[in-house]
Amino acid sequence: MYRYDALDAEMLADRTAEFRTQVGRRVAGELTEEQFKPLRLMNGLYLQLHAYMLRIAIPYGTLTSRKLHRLAHISRVYSRGYGHFTTRCNLQLHWIKLKDTPDILDLLAEVGLHSIQTSGNCIRNITADPYAGANAEEVDDPRVWSETIRQWSTFHPEFSFLPRKFKIAVGAAPDDRTAARIYDIGLKLRRNREGQLGFEVMVGGGLGRTPYLAPTIREFLPTKDLLSYLAAILRVYNRYGRRDNIWKARIKILVASLGAEQFARQVEAEWKTMTQSGEAARIDAPEAEVARIRRAFGTTPFKDLPAVSEAFEAAKAADPAFARFVRHNVLPHKVPGYAIVTISLKAPGEVPGDCSSDQMDAIADLAERYSFDEARNHFEQNLVLPHVALDDLPAVYAELERIGLATPNIGLATDIIACPGLDYCTLANARAIPIAQDIARRFADPAVAEEVGELRIKISGCINACGQHHVGHIGILGVDKKGEEFYQLTLGGSGLEDARLGEILGPALPGPRVAEAVDVLVDTYMKERAEGERFVDTFRRIGLAPFKAAVYAEAH
Amino acid sequence: MSDVPAKPVLFKGVTGNRLADGEVVFWADGAWRERFADIQLFDDPASADAALARAKAQPTVIVDPYLIDVRFDDGLPVPVAYRERVRALGPTIHPDMGKQTEGGAVVDAIVHASGAARSAGRINLIKR
Repeated sequence: MYRYDALDAEMLADRTAEFRTQVGRRVAGELTEEQFKPLRLMNGLYLQLHAYMLRIAIPYGTLTSRKLHRLAHISRVYSRGYGHFTTRCNLQLHWIKLKDTPDILDLLAEVGLHSIQTSGNCIRNITADPYAGANAEEVDDPRVWSETIRQWSTFHPEFSFLPRKFKIAVGAAPDDRTAARIYDIGLKLRRNREGQLGFEVMVGGGLGRTPYLAPTIREFLPTKDLLSYLAAILRVYNRYGRRDNIWKARIKILVASLGAEQFARQVEAEWKTMTQSGEAARIDAPEAEVARIRRAFGTTPFKDLPAVSEAFEAAKAADPAFARFVRHNVLPHKVPGYAIVTISLKAPGEVPGDCSSDQMDAIADLAERYSFDEARNHFEQNLVLPHVALDDLPAVYAELERIGLATPNIGLATDIIACPGLDYCTLANARAIPIAQDIARRFADPAVAEEVGELRIKISGCINACGQHHVGHIGILGVDKKGEEFYQLTLGGSGLEDARLGEILGPALPGPRVAEAVDVLVDTYMKERAEGERFVDTFRRIGLAPFKAAVYAEAH
Repeated sequence: MSDVPAKPVLFKGVTGNRLADGEVVFWADGAWRERFADIQLFDDPASADAALARAKAQPTVIVDPYLIDVRFDDGLPVPVAYRERVRALGPTIHPDMGKQTEGGAVVDAIVHASGAARSAGRINLIKR
C-alpha cells in the first residue's frame, strides 16, 4: 500500500483549511453561490435533491482497514449510516451538510483520504485494475503508474481548467478490468516483443449523450515516456477541445471529429516538439522516482503456502452455498495458496453499490485480519479482498454471510450497475435503483442466476450515463416522457475487452414493464443460446430481431 | 357533458435547498419551512414572482430557489412534477429517510399522487 509522505499530509491540511475559509465566506455572504459552486465542486461537494453529496476519492481503488474504518465512521456520523461505492473508485455520501464538510475533510485527511479530483474540469481520480498486485496475468502493478500519474496530475496548473473533465484508467492484464475504452485515456500495460514494458494508449472514449469507444492511438509507449505523452495528449485537447459548447467539450468529440489517425498525428507532433526541446525529459518521472513509488507500495509478506488447501477443499465439498460463492466470487491469485475475493454489494433487493457503516467496519476488520490490511473498490460497484489465504476462505465467507455480503453473483444478472438516479440526483430523468431492485428480485434465486450465466445489466437514470448503460449486455436508460419515467433498452454492449456500444431495442417502456422485458430477453437467450454462449454472444450471433419481437410481441 | 376530466387548478410555490445543510425547504410568508405541507401557495403569477424575488434576496440562506406547480388532490396539496414529489418526500427506496418519515395526510397524498410533469428545477442538466 502506498504511504503518503509529509508533503502530501501538508498539502491536504492546507487544502482543507482553505475550504473551511471558503465555506465561512459563502455563509457570510462574501461569496455568491456562483462564485462558491466551483470551489465546493473542486472539493467533491455536490448539491443534490435532498441534501449535499460528498464524493470521496479512493485513488486507484485501494483502501487500508484504517481508511475503510474512517469512511465507516464518517458515513455513520455525518450521513445516514451508509455510503455508495461508484464505478469510478469513489465513495459518495448522501445527506451531507455544508457546515460539516470542512470537519469531514479534516477527518479524511488524517488517514490520507480526500475529495480532490472528484469534480471539475481537471484530471480526475485515477482508476486501476481492482485485482492489481494479486492476479497472475498482469505484466506489472498498474497502481505504481496510477500513483505516478496522480502525483503529476494533482493541482497541475496547465491541466486544471481543461475544456471538460478528464478520466484516466490503468490496466495491466489481457482481461480488461477498468473499462478502458470508455475512458478519456485508457492505458494498458503490456510488453513488446523485446520484453520492454510499455502502454497501449487508447484515447477518446466516453458515454453520455454521444457515446464513443476509445480507439488505440499508440500500440506501445515505453513506460519512461508516460507523463510527457499524456501531456502531449492533453495539450492537443487543451488547444482544440470545444470550449464553446459544453455538450461537445469532451476529448471524445475532438478525437471523433479529427479521426483517430489525425488526432494521433497531432499528439505525436506535439510530443516530438517536446522531446526535441528537452521538455519531455523534464516532465517524465525519473526512473528513481518511479522506483521510490514502487517501494512505497511495499511488499506484501505472503507466506509460503501449499497450492491446495485441504481445509478449503473440505469446506467446499461440505457446503454447496460456499462452493457457489467460490465459483462466482473467488479468483486465482498469483501466489500459490491465496485467492482474490470479490465482495458483492448487490444482494437482490438492496441498492447496488451501497454499503452500510457497519458493513464497512466489518470489511475493514476482514481486510486487516485476512488480506494484509487491503481492500479495493471494484469498478463494478463491488469491493475486493485481494489477498486471502485459501485456508481462510471459509472464515471470510462466514463473516460475509453474517453481515449480508456473501451474495454469489459476480458478473451475473443480479450484479447490476445502477446510478443513484432520481432518488438522489438532480440530473436524473428517472429512477434507476428501483428498476435494478425489480430485476434483481426476478433472478434472486442463485441457481437461476447461475443458469443464466454472465449477464451485465447497467442502468442510468439519464443520458449522462453514470450507470454506463451503453456498454451493458442489457443497458437501461431512464428517459423523461412529459415528466413520466420511461426506460429505453439497449442490447449487446460491453465495456470490457470485447468493448461495443449497445443497440437500441425499440420504443421506451414504462417502469413497471422493464423487469418483465428483461425476463423476456433472458428467456429468448435461453432458447437460442448455443453451447457455452453468454447472453451477449448469442445476441451478437442472432442479432436484435428475435429479442425485439419477443419484447414487443404484445404490441402487435 | 364532456368525458375529458377538468384540468386541475394549479398553484405556485417556492422551493430551494437550504445553504447550510442542503435541506429541501419551502417558502411560507417570508420564512423557510421543512415540511411541504407548510408551503405557501399563490394563485396568481405576480404574487408567486414576488415571493420568488424575496427568496432570491436571501442568498446566504437558500440556494437556487425556484417556482413549482402544486395541485390539490382530494383537498390536499401535492407537487405536480414527479421530481418535486421525490424532493418533498425523500428517496423512494428509503421510506425510512427524509421528510416522508413524518407521515400525515399531505405526505400520504404525495405518496399516492400519480401523473407527472417536468419540473422547473431541472435546469443546466449536464454532469459536472
